[in-house]
Parts: sequence; structure tokens; C-alpha cells
Amino acid sequence: MLLEIDGLTKHFGGLAAVSRLDMQVNKGEIVGLIGPNGAGKTTVFNLVTGFLQPTRGKVVFDGKNITGKKPHVIAELGIGRTFQLNPLFADFTVLKNVVASFHLRPKSSLLATYFNTATYRRNEAYILEQSREILQLVGLDTVSDELAKNLPHGYQKMLGMARALAIKPRLLLLDEPLAGMNPDEIDFSMAAIKKTRQQGMTIVLVEHNMQIMDLCDRVVVINFGHKIAEGLPGEVRRNEEVIRAYFGGEYVA
Amino acid sequence: MDVMDKQLSIRNRNLTKPAVYAGLIVILSLLPLLIKSPYWLHVFILIFIYIIATVSLRVITTSGQFPLAHAAFMGIGAYTSAVVSKELGWTPWLTIPLGALAAMVIGILIAYPFARLRAIYYAVVSLFFGIGVLQILFVFEKWTNAYGGLIGIPYLLGATKVPYYYFFLGLTSLCLLALYRFEFCRIGTNLKAIAQSYMVASSVGINEARYRVIAVAVGCFFVGLAGATYAHYNVVLSYTSFDMLATLWLVLYAIVGGMGSFAGPIIGTAVLMVVPELFRELKEFVPFLSAGILLVVVFLMPQGLVGLPQLVRSWIVRRRERKAITHAS
Amino acid sequence: MELAVISLVNTLVLASMYILVALGFALLFSIMGILNFAHGAVYMIGGYICYGFAVQLGINLWLSLLLAVLIVASFGLFLEKFCFRPFSGNFDRTIVVCIGVILILETTVNLLVGYNVWSIPEFASGIIRIGAIHLSAERLITFIIGGALLLIMVWVINGTRTGQQMQAVSQDPEGAALQGISIHRVSALACFTACGLAAVAGSLMGAYLSLTPFMGSQMLVKALQLVILGGLGSIGGIFFAGLVVGAIDATLPLFISGAASQAIAFGIIVVLLLFRPQGFFGRKSG
Ligand SMILES: Nc1ncnc2c1ncn2[C@@H]1O[C@H](COP(=O)(O)OP(=O)(O)O)[C@@H](O)[C@H]1O
Ligand SMILES: [Mg+2]
Repeated sequence: MLLEIDGLTKHFGGLAAVSRLDMQVNKGEIVGLIGPNGAGKTTVFNLVTGFLQPTRGKVVFDGKNITGKKPHVIAELGIGRTFQLNPLFADFTVLKNVVASFHLRPKSSLLATYFNTATYRRNEAYILEQSREILQLVGLDTVSDELAKNLPHGYQKMLGMARALAIKPRLLLLDEPLAGMNPDEIDFSMAAIKKTRQQGMTIVLVEHNMQIMDLCDRVVVINFGHKIAEGLPGEVRRNEEVIRAYFGGEYVA
Repeated sequence: MDVMDKQLSIRNRNLTKPAVYAGLIVILSLLPLLIKSPYWLHVFILIFIYIIATVSLRVITTSGQFPLAHAAFMGIGAYTSAVVSKELGWTPWLTIPLGALAAMVIGILIAYPFARLRAIYYAVVSLFFGIGVLQILFVFEKWTNAYGGLIGIPYLLGATKVPYYYFFLGLTSLCLLALYRFEFCRIGTNLKAIAQSYMVASSVGINEARYRVIAVAVGCFFVGLAGATYAHYNVVLSYTSFDMLATLWLVLYAIVGGMGSFAGPIIGTAVLMVVPELFRELKEFVPFLSAGILLVVVFLMPQGLVGLPQLVRSWIVRRRERKAITHAS
Repeated sequence: MELAVISLVNTLVLASMYILVALGFALLFSIMGILNFAHGAVYMIGGYICYGFAVQLGINLWLSLLLAVLIVASFGLFLEKFCFRPFSGNFDRTIVVCIGVILILETTVNLLVGYNVWSIPEFASGIIRIGAIHLSAERLITFIIGGALLLIMVWVINGTRTGQQMQAVSQDPEGAALQGISIHRVSALACFTACGLAAVAGSLMGAYLSLTPFMGSQMLVKALQLVILGGLGSIGGIFFAGLVVGAIDATLPLFISGAASQAIAFGIIVVLLLFRPQGFFGRKSG
């Protein structure tokens, strides 16, 4: 088991955004985390990646307790993520966004970096090559010299994923990777996600788009921070409570 | 990496070109042959010193934080070196690095608790901290003579200006070289990444707190160095050179030149320090002149003085277009 | 006993003046998101204008105070429209504008005043006796005016529609704009009020102590001290911090030298900042 979430709880003031959530992710799986707006999905990602401290509960990654660790430590342990609102290194070029994200592997020491040693130069050359490969995978190689802030929205989303891949994660958390994309971009992104998965990546993704749910091996449904269903995409879609949560609540696609 | 960074700043390509800098250094090193006036040599020496200070300030701002305590760290460097060399009789060559290290250590000590503050909160708290740190001088009044002014500081190179001119020209060039490399290697990239989005930066494994502390350490070391060398050149110190207003002036030099590029603070410092000297006859009206420059830059040049060539270019293009239109109609 | 009461009165006088200035500074910060470094200079100019009317033109002192406040408050409107609004959200450029304004104000005053040290006539004279204790009426009146204004400000901020609009803008400018609150109007009002309060403090302090072209930067440091100690955006915090700083400034010099007492005051605050950078009452900021 790669990721194990155990009784995870997060209170914001009086509001329980996530409540006693249990969830497991196995190596090589794609797991969908779905639920209406405000269900607590992003909060779960933030708790797992250390951007928020849980009120209670435990997160175990690859046998290691990572509860409450700092975001950069968790990244170093191998969890990559994208953000729902998708902030970027806006004033860097597309290529530089990815190059800058190769902070972890291969890593040069501060002194080697500053004094531009042979090792540092070799590392940077390797990083440049790898960055171009990643950009090709997500289809951004043609715009690699554009400033990130000048890209269309869909491209920016893909750049977010490219950046997350640059840390060579073992687990990838994607927060609404298709939101705001046009149908062509959706097809392309889905293909990229599939390809990543075929390379052995484990993925958890939050998405409203039902199309992508068919990609998932398993789906976890939460509402008001509680898990209300779990199973194969087909099963879950027929689950009554899920239907009520979605159509009774204010579900926005 | 370095190549890409230069591509990013195409705007200022001719300013960041090393050849231009080399040429500038050659011209500057010939200058004392032409200018014999000790007064103008003094002005140039001060400009060299303050360039180190403002460029080191920008090291911290590239990490996205706006420190308003920088002159205080200059003061820490200056007073440490001055007092130690005066009281213990050590040579300034030893106490100057000591002063720079003192500024760096104090910088690191405050950088940790302040690592959780961002943006304007960081600016205000650091502003206050700068005022507070300077009060140490009054605690050690016995040695610093902070109110009356500290005198009797040993000279670094004797009492004539020319040796200092060459010393500071060399020192400033070296510091700029060192800080240029710092900005355009991966360390600088990481700082800029943090500035653009600390969330994204930490999600790719960049330790925000660590890099912010590194930036403060480097920035404080160099400004401490500037302060310490200043002490043994000027041989008189007054705390007003390092108070809140002094910090704000450092910040102004950098902003007016343009925070967006390495050359900005250098140009800003040179212009804002030279212009008042050129118009010295205006006497008590000189501050109006400085205020005028500030207001012109702030209202008309969003990039600072470094953006001026580009501004002029786009103005000419627009004029030409307008002419073309009037001709056509 | 007498010493204690006098210290208390001095504390209250200083505290009320500091708070008047700091409150305006904080108001501008929370509503417009700017650090008005020119606030000290505005305070200084208030004192000099009052002096000019009262002494050089020989107008009634209280009328001079009123005129000074109105002029400086209108100057606040000018500042808001031409100096702050064009750069809202642009931290570094507001610093440049503010320094430009400081240079112009201080240099002008410096040119007009030269080396003269002026003092505004007392707003009230005589000694008031309460039992065995003698208090100067000047101090009492300073504190009474300052305290009354502060009470009015608290009422305005918490009890009126305008105050609620100010709070709404400071907490969530976009949300407030959506509710139909005019941000420009609220900002202009805040600037008017803040500068007016500073002018009152400048005039009263110009009578209590004396006027110098550079009194502004000292007061600016005090305002910062209060705002930081109290936590940005907390009015209660500023009042509390004002009393603490006022007490330190009023009583410590009785026991140790002025320089050392300042150093101790700063030392306390610096140590506090190391452990609680967000101030006594400030929210944690991200
Ligand atoms: N930092 C925060 N502070 C306070 N409340 C928050 C915070 N982040 C999220 N919330 C609240 O927690 C709930 C869950 O939010 P979120 O995890 O973003 O939902 P989802 O991603 O499923 O749409 C919402 O009610 C939201 O308002
Ligand atoms: Mg979400």
C-alpha cells in the first residue's frame, strides 16, 4: 500500500471540512476522489501534502508516517501535486517552470551550484533534457519559450502537471486537472494522464468530469468531509447516496 | 540555466552584458587621472559603497520579501568593525570580515522567527526590527558613543582618497560579480520561484524557510561588509547613517533604479547620489530635486530607471506610427 | 503618590497622542493596504499650520486648530487621490511616493523655519489642584481632547454605517465592492480622517512640547511601535500598545537615562517580536 489515510480530520473553526476519513491507495492505481463543491477534497490534498496540519488522524506514505510534515519534506519523499487554482511561476518561461521544479533530483549542493562545478553542470544538462521530455509528454514542447502567464488556461493546467512530474514523484495528486479545459484539451490531458499511469505512476485525482472517472480503478466519494461511498466507478455511479449528494446538493460540473 | 535567465531579461540585455561592465570598470579606473578633486572622489567612493548595499538588498527582495532593516545591518557591520579595531587594536583587515559576519549572524537569527511572515507584514516587522536593533548601539554607548558620534576609528588605507577609490572600485566589482553569480545560478532561481509562488515552490521540494534564510544571510553579509569598509574609510560614525530614514533611502535607490533587474539598484544608486551633488549650488533646495526624481520615476517609469530605454523606444515607435497615420489620411 | 499620579497623567497624555497618530496609520493600512510613511510628516505639518495661524496670523488658538485640521485633512484627500490610489497594491511604489511627499513637506518647513524652535501657545493654562496633587491644565486638556477624539473614533468605527463599511472593506475589499460599497469613497474618508487626527496630535504636541521639522519621524516610529505591538488591524491592540508605550516613555526616563530607556523599550518589543511576530493581538498572517 502506497498511501494510507487513517481517521483524518480537519476543523476550520467550527466547520469540519474533513471528518474521520479513511482511504487507501495501492501502488499503480488511479483513485478518483469525488464529491460536490466544498466537500473537502482539496482539503484532503492539503492535509496529505503538508500544506495544512490535521486536527486528528494519520497519513502514512510508503510505510512512513508523514502526518504534519512540511510540504517540501513530503515532496522530497515522493508526493507530487497540482493545485486547483493552479498557481505557476508566472514570470518564468514554460521550460524554466519545469527546470526550476527539478529541485530534488538530481540535487547539487549549494557550493557546487554556486561555483558551477562539473557535477552541477552535468546535473543541469540532464535536467534540461528531462524537462524537455516532460514537456513533450504533456504537449507543451512547442511553447516552451513562452512566459507561463501568457499561456491559455488549458496549457497552464498541463504545465502544472508537468511541474509536479519534475520531482519524479511516486504518487501524484491532481486537483481538478481538467477544469476549464475545452474538449480537445481534455482529450489530450486524458491521454497524458493515461501515459503517465502506464509508466507506473500512482495517481489520486479530484475531478467533476465523469469522463475521467472511467480512467479510475476505484472511486472514493466524500460529502461534507465524510466518506459516503467507495468502489468501482460503475458501482458508485449507481449508489443512491451519491446521486442524492450530487443532485440534491449544488453540484456544479 | 544562465543562458535562459539572460533570455528572460532581453529588455536589459545591453546592461547585463559582461563586456559593458568590463568597459565601465576600465573607464572608472581611469577616472582619478582626470578628476583630481577629493570631493568628487569621495562622492564616487560613497557610491561604490552604497551600490554594494543596494544590490545586497535586492538579494532579499528576489525571494519575495521586502526587508526594511537593511541600513541597520550596515550599521552592525560598521560599528562592530570600528569598535573592535579601536578598542582591541586589531587591524581593520581582520575586523572588516568580522563586521560582515556579525551582520550575517544577526540576520540569520532574526530570519528564522520571521520566516513565517510574508509581504507587508514582513516589511513592517522588519522595519521595526531595524529600528530596534540599532538601539543596541545605545546600550553599548560607552564604546559606540552613538549620540556624540564615534571617532578615532583606524584608517584602512591612510587619509588620501585615491587608494580608497581603487580599493572600493575593486571591492564593489568583486561583490557584484559574486552576487551576479548568486542570482543566476539555481539558488537565485529558487529564490525567484519562492517569490512567485511559495506554495508551488514548496510543492516541488524547495525549502522556503531555508532559502529565505540564505537570502537574508547573503544580503546581510554584503551590507555588513559595505558598512564595515565604510567605517574605516570615513573613520567617523554616526547612528543616523543607519537609522530608519537611511534604510528607506537604500530602498529608494533600489526601487528607483528598478527592482526587476540586477542593474537596477546600481543605476538607481548612482543617479540618486550623483544628481544632488551636481546641483550642489541649490543648497537647501536639493531635496526638492531628489523628490522630483522620485515622483517622475514613480509616476512615469513603472520599471524604474532601467526601463527608460525601452520606454523611449516604445515612445518613438508610437510617434512614428501616429505620423504614418496622419500622412496616410 | 504625587509622582504616581503625574506619571499616570503623562502616560495618558502621551498614549492618547500616540494612539491618535497610530490609529490613522492603521486605518490607512487596513483599508488601503498601504504603509503611509508620510504620516509623521503630515502630523508635523499639522502642528506648523496651527502655529502659523495662531502665532503668525494671530488667529484664535482653537480656530487655528480647527483650520489646521481641515487643511491637513483635505491634504489627505489629495494624497489619497493622487498619491495612493494610482499605486494601490503596489507596495514598493507607495514607499517612493511617501518619501517624495516627506522630502517636500520637510524641506518646505525647513526652509520657512530655519533653526528656530517654535512652540504653540498653551491651549489651557494654570494648575489644577486635586487634593494635594497639582496637575497642569495643559496636560489635562491635551488628554481630554485626545481621549474624546479616540472615543468618537471607536464609536464611528463600531457604531456607524460608515464604520461598518470601513471594516467590510478592510476585511474583504472585493466582497465589499460587490455589496455596492464604494471603495474610493471609503478610502478617501479614511485618509481624510487619518490626516485630520494626525493634525490634531501635531498641534497638541506642538503646544505640549515644541515644533521641529523632524518631529514627524519620531512620531512615525511611535506609531509603528503601537501598530506592530498591537498587531496590524486590531484597534483594541493599538489602544493597549499605546498605553504600554506611553507608560514606558512617561515613567522609564524618571529612573534611567533617556537613551537607555528607549533602548529598553525597543528591546522588550524586539524580544516580543521574536516570539510573536504578529503582535499582541494580531491574527496570524499567511
Ligand atoms: N483555509 C481554510 N480556512 C477556512 N475554511 C476553509 C479553508 N479551506 C477550505 N475551507 C472550507 O472547507 C470546506 C471544504 O473545502 P474544499 O476542501 O476546498 O472543498 P472541495 O475541494 O471539495 O471543493 C469548504 O467549506 C471551505 O470553505
Ligand atoms: Mg477543491
